[in-house]
Amino acid sequence: MKLVKLLLPLITLTISAFSVPAQHLSDASLVAKGAKVYGENCARCHNARPAEEYSKKEWSVVIPHMRAKAHMTGKESLAVEAFLASTLTADVRNTPSHESADAPKRTGAELVTQFGCQGCHQLKGEGGTLGPVLDDVISDKGEAFVLQKLIDPKFNNAASAMPKYPMTKEDIAAIIEFLKQ
Amino acid sequence: MKQVPLYSAVAAVVLLSTMTTANAQEDSSLDIGRLALAGYGDVTYISQPNMKDEEGNDIQNNVVARFVPIFLFQLSEKIHIEAELEFSTNSEGETETELEYANMHYFFNDNTIITAGKFLLPFGQFGANLHPSWINKAASNPGLYGGHGGNGSLGGITSIMGDTGINIANTWTLGDAGRIFTDFYTVSGPRQEAGDHGGGVEMEAKKGDNNDSMAFGGRVAYAFLPEWEIGVSYYSGDYSDDGDLNYSAYNIDFNWVGSYASVRGEIFGSTAETEGETEAEVEGEHGEEWVKDFDKNGWYIQGTWQARQLGKAWLNPIELVVRYSDIESDFDGSIGHDFEEDAGKMGSRIYYGINYWLEPSAVLKLGAESTSIDNEGAGHGGIVDDRVFLQLAFGF
Repeated sequence: MKLVKLLLPLITLTISAFSVPAQHLSDASLVAKGAKVYGENCARCHNARPAEEYSKKEWSVVIPHMRAKAHMTGKESLAVEAFLASTLTADVRNTPSHESADAPKRTGAELVTQFGCQGCHQLKGEGGTLGPVLDDVISDKGEAFVLQKLIDPKFNNAASAMPKYPMTKEDIAAIIEFLKQ
Repeated sequence: MKQVPLYSAVAAVVLLSTMTTANAQEDSSLDIGRLALAGYGDVTYISQPNMKDEEGNDIQNNVVARFVPIFLFQLSEKIHIEAELEFSTNSEGETETELEYANMHYFFNDNTIITAGKFLLPFGQFGANLHPSWINKAASNPGLYGGHGGNGSLGGITSIMGDTGINIANTWTLGDAGRIFTDFYTVSGPRQEAGDHGGGVEMEAKKGDNNDSMAFGGRVAYAFLPEWEIGVSYYSGDYSDDGDLNYSAYNIDFNWVGSYASVRGEIFGSTAETEGETEAEVEGEHGEEWVKDFDKNGWYIQGTWQARQLGKAWLNPIELVVRYSDIESDFDGSIGHDFEEDAGKMGSRIYYGINYWLEPSAVLKLGAESTSIDNEGAGHGGIVDDRVFLQLAFGF
């Protein structure tokens, strides 16, 4: 009893010391950060679950539940939510998107950053360990394998947690060219 | 007296509310939902040809099933409500229903979550996070934990799982990969089991409190993401009706997760003060009263390996599991005991399994488990307890 009474003021002081402003969604690195947090935290207890298992709205309710389970901070959980949302189209099943032809063309490096690939994969020594290293993936697995993996991440492994990204054919080609370098 | 910690906790919450209001979802432009349904379930076939009940009759092989929906409701950006119900069939074919937890999270600030209601106690990792069947890599529970299959001759020695009260969780960030997680809670606490045998601590929060004392506990863990987490938990509460007998327990848990393998385990110990009376020298008179410690200790370690490391496509869904559990329960050696349940039992259990992953959250498990009781005279002593499990588990 005394211990509880002693601890509560300590907890109070601790909490107040950690009060920090929220990060805004417009932060360009939020998706990449979310991919990193996703890769680092989900697999602590279970297989990471692909984004397409829930809709964006469902994720917004599920993530607070997982925030409590995994002891994520509010900023981390928001980043994960942003990452998952970035991989989902309006279609829950995430069929391939057909981006407008006049959309600005993005480089492979930009796309790798945008989709948060290094949240789970190492590239040039940086990135997560949930998935395999990408440096030599083209030479090791072949271009056709990587192409198919980007189109359908589960084609070779039903338990793969890799999201099915809303990529265009041009996006996929740019990423493969980037990975060849 | 029992309400002092609760009042203190509520006062702390009110005080904290006047300080910061940082909220990570402020000005969010994401699609915000209100309701979501998650959960898990399983169906398990258990072959146990050598097991017999107390009358010596064969225990039939059986199939049991569970459906465990989790209802999630986002009341606002700061308040989140969750409840988990478990519907299950038992070996008698009856349907059982249980409220696993029902609580409200208040996201006080970026680092702090206050939870009130019935919740899974942050005591070790298995009870709080790892027990759902699609997360638990084996088809049975570690030897420390009773319930939900695989009990048999080696009953669980802890059931510190869920209770009603308030918890304050904090996350401290130490650099890019370091985290310290803290949980401190006060809950209704354990009750005294009906009956007259010693060590009778009832942990399940199916009834209200039975004395004027609440239990308290906490867990402090250090994580080095994404691979390591080590935690230390403590729990203490008075359990007798008159509040003069204490139950306390500790747990040390660790979890290592690599790209293809994982190792996790827990070390558990508990002490329940137990009272009794020596036999009177003169018939009709009372003997000498005593209070002794009834101890239960145990540990388990579990390793998994994913065959996709070998680079063969057909091996990608396959995972191997092995787990060893060891428990012992005894008085402190100073007295004898003549009751069977929980008393003087030493045993071990080993589980070998192979998992076939159908989806990231759906798995078919085939497992074999063998239990040995090391001391004669304990309940079920001498009976071979070998089981085979076939389980389909899924999360949704």
